[in-house]
Amino acid sequence: MTGEATEVPLVRVDGVSKRFRRGTDFAERLAVRLGAAAPPPVVHALDEVSLEVRRGEVVGLAGESGCGKSTLGRVMAGLLAPTEGRVSHAGHDLASLAGDDARRARLAAQIVFQDPMSSLNPRRRVRDIIGEAPRVHGLVRRGDVAPRVAGLLETVGLDPAMADRFPHQFSGGQRQRIGIARALAVEPEFLICDESIAALDVSIQAQVLNLLMCLRTDLGLTLLFISHDLSVVRHISDRVVIMYLGRVVESASTEDLFDAANHPYTLALLAQIPSLDRRRHHFAAIEGEIPSPVNPPPGCHFHPRCPRAFARCRTERPVLRSIAPGHDSACHLNDASAEAARAVPTSTGDPT
Amino acid sequence: MMTPLLSVSGLVTEFPGRDGAVRAVDGVSFDLARGRILGLVGESGSGKSVTGFSVLGLVDAPGRVVAGSVRFDGEELLGASPRRLRSLRGNRIAMVFQDPMMTLNPVLTVGTQMVETVCAHRRVSRRAARVEARDALGKVGIPSPEERLDAYPHEFSGGMRQRVAIATALLHAPDLIIADEPTTALDVTIQSQILGEVQRLCAETGTGLIWISHDLGVVAGLADDIAVMYAGRIVERAGVDDVLDVPRHPYTRGLINAIPGAGERGRPLHQIRGSAPSPTSRLVGCAFRPRCDRAGEACLEEPGEVLGPEGRRWRCFHPLEAGA
Repeated sequence: MTGEATEVPLVRVDGVSKRFRRGTDFAERLAVRLGAAAPPPVVHALDEVSLEVRRGEVVGLAGESGCGKSTLGRVMAGLLAPTEGRVSHAGHDLASLAGDDARRARLAAQIVFQDPMSSLNPRRRVRDIIGEAPRVHGLVRRGDVAPRVAGLLETVGLDPAMADRFPHQFSGGQRQRIGIARALAVEPEFLICDESIAALDVSIQAQVLNLLMCLRTDLGLTLLFISHDLSVVRHISDRVVIMYLGRVVESASTEDLFDAANHPYTLALLAQIPSLDRRRHHFAAIEGEIPSPVNPPPGCHFHPRCPRAFARCRTERPVLRSIAPGHDSACHLNDASAEAARAVPTSTGDPT
Repeated sequence: MMTPLLSVSGLVTEFPGRDGAVRAVDGVSFDLARGRILGLVGESGSGKSVTGFSVLGLVDAPGRVVAGSVRFDGEELLGASPRRLRSLRGNRIAMVFQDPMMTLNPVLTVGTQMVETVCAHRRVSRRAARVEARDALGKVGIPSPEERLDAYPHEFSGGMRQRVAIATALLHAPDLIIADEPTTALDVTIQSQILGEVQRLCAETGTGLIWISHDLGVVAGLADDIAVMYAGRIVERAGVDDVLDVPRHPYTRGLINAIPGAGERGRPLHQIRGSAPSPTSRLVGCAFRPRCDRAGEACLEEPGEVLGPEGRRWRCFHPLEAGA
């Protein structure tokens, strides 16, 4: 099971949008209907996102808070249904699967969450936490659960003798290993790590990262690695996808993205990564805040903060297009270099 | 030699525990000169935050500072009257916390809180105080500060709130700011904005800054000096280039190597085996011994602070070679 590129991607996301809306009761719906109240605000978490993850690949998904990276992870795992668009696993549309096929597809994609303390049941022993899913799904017989749990604990570098302990008896790094063992228990093909190492100390982070890299080669896993930390993403990923406010702004191989980034947002992010080599650095960030996903700006979402924005960016949404083999970027500057060059000096000099 | 702005020596802070006192801070010493930035780095539980609280006399009971000395501008702070400490805090010494929602009162407008801070330490009219508050908000890059004074903390985003907290800390142009992980909860672009502001203010006003953080990358870009803490002790301290380029303590080198860097994608990261000892575990000798590759017989004794060339200090019997 090596990373042979097959024709059908393992997971494919096609024009997926996800909008969250607060539930309304009868009185509120009536008020809205009569025009006495405004409809509840809608959060645009994902806005027509398309993405492919090939078998055996590690895809890094990066962006700042509220950019929709966790929502995308959950949609890809089948935990959330998209509002629009389709998600397919190995060529099968998740929404059209039923019965055993749907169950198998769900088991094939597992998530490792950020905070192991809130994702592990504090009142259950580790052997139950890890052993429950394979038993319920009939992957192992009741008598084989204990050896299975012991094997999984060994895989993630824990002592099998610890199976009778409770989560609080472990350190943060060990708890995260339990989270990984639980995800691996149903033999997934696709592992989604949602900020899985963000809560850990640096020295422990390195241990868990090494474990994930090992598992990937040993078990032939495909990984979606969601993180806000670009240096970690760079270390582990084959390909990196950058999101901003619900949209993919750039996607490229790790080398291309870090050496030849195209999108102004990616460039700005890369300039901000704290690094040991940047001493007495003069910090100068992109201006402004990340806009709210309740009311995203029109056109390119990044235009209010973009140093190179011009008229077209304020009205027209840039399409994610290929600018080099395997390198996509969603920026108007790419298809109108001449126009952009002309627009740059005037964009700042607007008379007020 | 000029007296340093802040001189901490032999600071010990203990919390009573079931099996005797737990030493969260165990003999910490450092100096901070005016206009300098000291990065206090360590993993969780290393005692870096408690060190910050101890300096300000803010350790909550039942914890208490049991030994040491904290001299601020020549004045001993340990044992100073609560009244004296209160007049220093917020006036000449300010603290910025990780979560600004903990420092800001949610039911008062930002303006009210900032005016109160000004009036608590100086006899000025509320009108003048408001002008000062507005200017402080403008200085940390909050757009239309006049209107924002009338907003409540919940109307600000996380980054903006942290700016308000920093603006409040800067109201009296303090001589010393202690910042405890103030950008940890923020996004990279917002973090950079705040770091930029802080850097500029320190350079302009000559304020001394202690930046407590777990992020060696941030500290590398910000600090003049670095102190690395492990299990309640400073195991190494020196200028930023010395610490990062030629670390002498094995723990410092372990930390540096554990950070994913450029050009070695997919390769296993160097990891420090095991995990940090719990403060209750009472290890004999060097606390890093169980995780250290260089540990030997000598490490069963507690290593004292070694004074190296150019003011470098470390606590290790088997320090790394300067050129290794």
